[in-house]
Amino acid sequence: MNKISDENVDVNALKLKKGDLVKEVEDLCGENLFGCYQCGTCSAGCPFVEDMDLSPDEVIRYVILDKKEVLNSKTIWLCAACYTCAERCPRDINITKIMEALRQIILRKNIDRTNLTDIPMEEKGSIPQLAFVCLFRKNVG
Amino acid sequence: MRKEYGYGKYDNVITALQFERLLSSFGPTEGKVSRPSDGKKPKSIGWIQCVGSRSEQLGFPYCSRVCCMYATKEASIAKEANPDIDITIYYMDIRAYGKDFQQYYDHAKDLGVKYIRGRPSSVYENPDESITIKYKDTLTGKIEESTVDMLVLSTAIMPNKDNKRLGEALGVDVDENGFFKQDSLLTDPIQSTRDGIFLAGCIQGPKDIPDSVSMASGAAAKAVAPIKDREKHIGKEFPPERDVTNEKPKIGVFVCHCGKNVANYLDVEKVTEDAKKLPNVEYADHMMFVCSEDSCKKIKEMIQEKGLNRIIVAACSPRTHGGLFQDTLMEAGLNKYLFEMANIRNHCSWVHSDDWNAATDKAIKLVSASVAKARHLESLTEEEFSIYPSTLIIGGGVSGMKAALALAKMGIKSIIIEKESKLGGRLRHLHSMFPSDMKSEEIIDPLIKEITKNKLITVMLDSELEDLEGYIGNYKGKIKQKEMKKEIEFGTIIVATGFREIDLKGKYQYGKNKNIVSQTELETKLKNNDLKKPKNVVFINCAGAMDEERPYCCRVGCGVSIKNAKLLSQKFPKAKTYLLYRDMRVFGKEEEEYYSDVLKNYHVITIRYPGDKKPEVVLDKNNPKDGPVTIKVYDDLLKEEMTIPADLVALTVNTEGGAETEKLKNMLKVPVDAAGFFIETHAKIKPLDFSTSGIYMCGAAHYPKNLVDSIAQAEGAASRASIPISQEKMKGEGIVSEVNEDLCRGCGTCESACAYSAIEMKPHPRDPTRLVAEVNRALCKGCGSCAAACLNSAIEQKGYKSKQINVMITALIEQGAAK
Amino acid sequence: MKLLYYPGCTLKTSAKNLEKSAFAIMDALGHEMVEMEDWTCCGVASSLTDDDLMHHIAPLRNLIHVEDEGEDKIITLCDMCCNTLKQTNLRVKEKPDDLETLNSFMDQENDYNGTVKVIHFLEFLRDEVGFDVLKKKIKNPLRGMKIMSYYGCMLLRPREVSIDDAEEPTVMEELFTSIGAEVVDNPFKVECCGSYHTVEDKNLVSNRAYRITKFAVDRGSEAIVLSCPLCRFNLDVRGKEAEKLYNNYKQIPVYYYTQLIAVALGLDPKCCGFGDHAVDPVLLLKKKGVFEK
Repeated sequence: MNKISDENVDVNALKLKKGDLVKEVEDLCGENLFGCYQCGTCSAGCPFVEDMDLSPDEVIRYVILDKKEVLNSKTIWLCAACYTCAERCPRDINITKIMEALRQIILRKNIDRTNLTDIPMEEKGSIPQLAFVCLFRKNVG
Repeated sequence: MRKEYGYGKYDNVITALQFERLLSSFGPTEGKVSRPSDGKKPKSIGWIQCVGSRSEQLGFPYCSRVCCMYATKEASIAKEANPDIDITIYYMDIRAYGKDFQQYYDHAKDLGVKYIRGRPSSVYENPDESITIKYKDTLTGKIEESTVDMLVLSTAIMPNKDNKRLGEALGVDVDENGFFKQDSLLTDPIQSTRDGIFLAGCIQGPKDIPDSVSMASGAAAKAVAPIKDREKHIGKEFPPERDVTNEKPKIGVFVCHCGKNVANYLDVEKVTEDAKKLPNVEYADHMMFVCSEDSCKKIKEMIQEKGLNRIIVAACSPRTHGGLFQDTLMEAGLNKYLFEMANIRNHCSWVHSDDWNAATDKAIKLVSASVAKARHLESLTEEEFSIYPSTLIIGGGVSGMKAALALAKMGIKSIIIEKESKLGGRLRHLHSMFPSDMKSEEIIDPLIKEITKNKLITVMLDSELEDLEGYIGNYKGKIKQKEMKKEIEFGTIIVATGFREIDLKGKYQYGKNKNIVSQTELETKLKNNDLKKPKNVVFINCAGAMDEERPYCCRVGCGVSIKNAKLLSQKFPKAKTYLLYRDMRVFGKEEEEYYSDVLKNYHVITIRYPGDKKPEVVLDKNNPKDGPVTIKVYDDLLKEEMTIPADLVALTVNTEGGAETEKLKNMLKVPVDAAGFFIETHAKIKPLDFSTSGIYMCGAAHYPKNLVDSIAQAEGAASRASIPISQEKMKGEGIVSEVNEDLCRGCGTCESACAYSAIEMKPHPRDPTRLVAEVNRALCKGCGSCAAACLNSAIEQKGYKSKQINVMITALIEQGAAK
Repeated sequence: MKLLYYPGCTLKTSAKNLEKSAFAIMDALGHEMVEMEDWTCCGVASSLTDDDLMHHIAPLRNLIHVEDEGEDKIITLCDMCCNTLKQTNLRVKEKPDDLETLNSFMDQENDYNGTVKVIHFLEFLRDEVGFDVLKKKIKNPLRGMKIMSYYGCMLLRPREVSIDDAEEPTVMEELFTSIGAEVVDNPFKVECCGSYHTVEDKNLVSNRAYRITKFAVDRGSEAIVLSCPLCRFNLDVRGKEAEKLYNNYKQIPVYYYTQLIAVALGLDPKCCGFGDHAVDPVLLLKKKGVFEK
């Protein structure tokens, strides 16, 4: 059963500095993923969970088990850093930062998620500016 | 408390303690389960576990230890009384760790209580005041919303907020959570950080009733030690007893108002007046509180003045107040068994509080029945017997040694018999202890030294109990020590025989490959430095536990596996460690914190597997005996089959009672459960006693236990065993069974009916060819089971003879007919 | 007393009405609010990786400029800006080493001394004006108007920079009650509106807007009142677009809290810029008799 259908990034070709994905992630975000009890609080409260291929707790599990395909998960790009999971996690794990670390692993390989030229002109006129800055910060390294 | 569960905001969100009040018949709803918002019976109730507990965020990093079971209990009670209520418990791990807890949990599931693994994220209220819970069912992977009429929160147990102040005042240390610190968790959990101050129950950490009671008994033993040489309190002196055998019954009846408790619900005056009319009643009166000093004085005066020789108090329960009035009788020179109580409070004013006439009428009947019985009351004697001032301790492990030392500190002699050639028991084979990593020899070596030095303790190694006779205070035992046989005497017995790992009978390929070991074997290897460097280590918990054959949890396995995972990771930092578990049951003080630290610091990968899909161990075809193995396990949370190569597999094997249990059970005449653990008198209030007087248990012989709980229990058992010995002499019950040897046919029915091993079949004193029952007055508790069981009415229970009961019944019926 | 104000990009473009109404309120309350000089973009999303100091430069430069003006307080209107500035401010206070690195990197700027307090306009109204004072100045109470207060994320999370309790905030409820409205509780008030996904995945955000609004309407709310310009766009514009996705669904009007305060204070409605909304905000005010029909 493969939950992740995207193959945008060749995860096996990504050279991870620390070898294990979990070490790389922990290094970037400073969170200890092994403190997770897999209780599902983060996922139950996530506003985007319905559109995700992996729920946030599954993302943590994948990283722990060194399943690198997690880097192709939609989830990490759907996370809008609303911090609800981080606020409620009984183990005080900042899942928001874990998601960012996973994005950064890709972005720092100069792989962009968003192609700026794809955004239609009329949208550029009406959407609040801060949305664009935010999007670029999240999706274009 | 955090606010996402709506406590304090929504009426229908309550704490488990509040729910407990709803279930209580003395609670605000008199036991009816109803919603706070509208008083209606809920159609569905949800429970959220670990609200606060096991949380790094809120400052309660510990497990509250009791919530899983109280939630299960509350849910079971609610479900049993209202099968139509839909009940769901949301949990992370169900910690059903204690004796029979797992079975209780399984029973709740059978009753229809639903358990969902998932911690809800938040809740909200609907216009009809129902509560919607948002959660992820981590076993199906689905994000769900569920609406319940009422939500109960199992909130974290907090130490009293004044603990810090109390600690300062007492000069003892309080830990960062606010619980009192013990001197050393693994060697002296009852001792606070200051001499002379001891800890019992939840002051040291969250605890359930049996563990609190054991610890309290242990604390009592420790508190007695420094004052053991002081002059002992000697009981009251009573005037000589008046012989009433040839007096005609002169009955005094004293009716109690119990303040307003009785007098507001029935007519005490009428009860008194009616009593006066009964034959043989010489005197009757009613008083505000019969138990007050003035009233007791009045009773004594009336006994003298009117020559009363039978006293009836119509008030509350003999269980609580009988002894007080019996003392009054003795002070007035009457035998204490010439007393009878009619419980017109519990049985009349309480249960019929809404019907004045009925309550009054019933009270009159009860009093007349008591009067009828009182006419036939006889003086009874209590046998006095001496206590041999020494305790036999069976088993020389930590529990047995701790019990011996506790006794010695109280000035009591003991004999430890140990079947092996060294003291130390199971710990001799173990490396270090959970949860503070103390080396096992650091624990047992000082104990052995102290034991050897202590003149009050005799140690018999390579020894086994061969035969036992006698009863509390006067035991004789035959001990076989290697080839020698010795006979010893003692007054009480403590059973501390520990546990053993079960025979897996080849499950998980155990015994077929040298890389597959039990936790105990692993520890021995660790201790002896006898391990090759592994690459992948797999721990499999609950091997042979919580299945059809053995439905119970071993209580210690989770902690042991975590500790060993840490040991291996420390020794072999490059090895990958997997821990396969079903529910992570780390519940004691500092245990949750230890667990979380091991996961974080050593990156131990935990895999939860479902009870119906046990992990499979596959041997290498080419090298089945020595080669690496493959573990197939279904990851319950990822819902995927995983294959893990392993070159070391440690099985957390379930446990059972020690090897000598069967033999001891017959010798001591005590009960043992299906798993070979000894059965205590009462799981909650008498966890250290056998129902047979004079025999006590501690440590893993009762049920597997970590060191902390074992020590608390050992010191508790010493406390229990010291009580008869410090009293020097004991009085038996006056109300005991009596055998009419001429009627007895020697069938033995009574012997098997007796729960206290007080009856034995012996030759008839005048006709030695036939067997008759003989009651041991020291052991008989006067429960009456034998009298009821006897097919030939050959046994009478003193104080409750058939005639005495019959006249009571007649009185009740006649009163009824007269009306 | 002069109060320094940091606008940020959106307040100068698509959320001019938020800024204008805020200034009008300050005027009416007798406070002087002045836009700070030489501000730049805040960077919007606070940096979430530990090793990434680069993205703290923009917010920090703005904090330095506040110190340069001799002030120790900066008021923001945009929730995103407020959050980003607060997070950087906190980071450099908690990690002095990082501050040193940043200070030495920005060699054209003065060093930041950590003296600035970042506050949101809502905090200013609550803590420095006081809702009871505000209440006394109300000329046009919003009687009979049932509204849902919507906080979104950035006012409340992460909790270190929250302006209120992160799960059960009350600041908006207290504010709206003081100007005469009736607040209908809604669990979605702290849930994300969809944020920047509005650029690339309109439907995702329309879905969010639908969920949030539907819940509000079911409980009798007639309007949503909020603070963040991006939340306003998502609930108002994407919410209106959701009408095409869901049958019988009608988006309710979305207001900035500053607009409703201005209306309640009886100020000229022109300062509210109601024309910039997708769902007409004036109709409801007329229906409720706040505005003349």
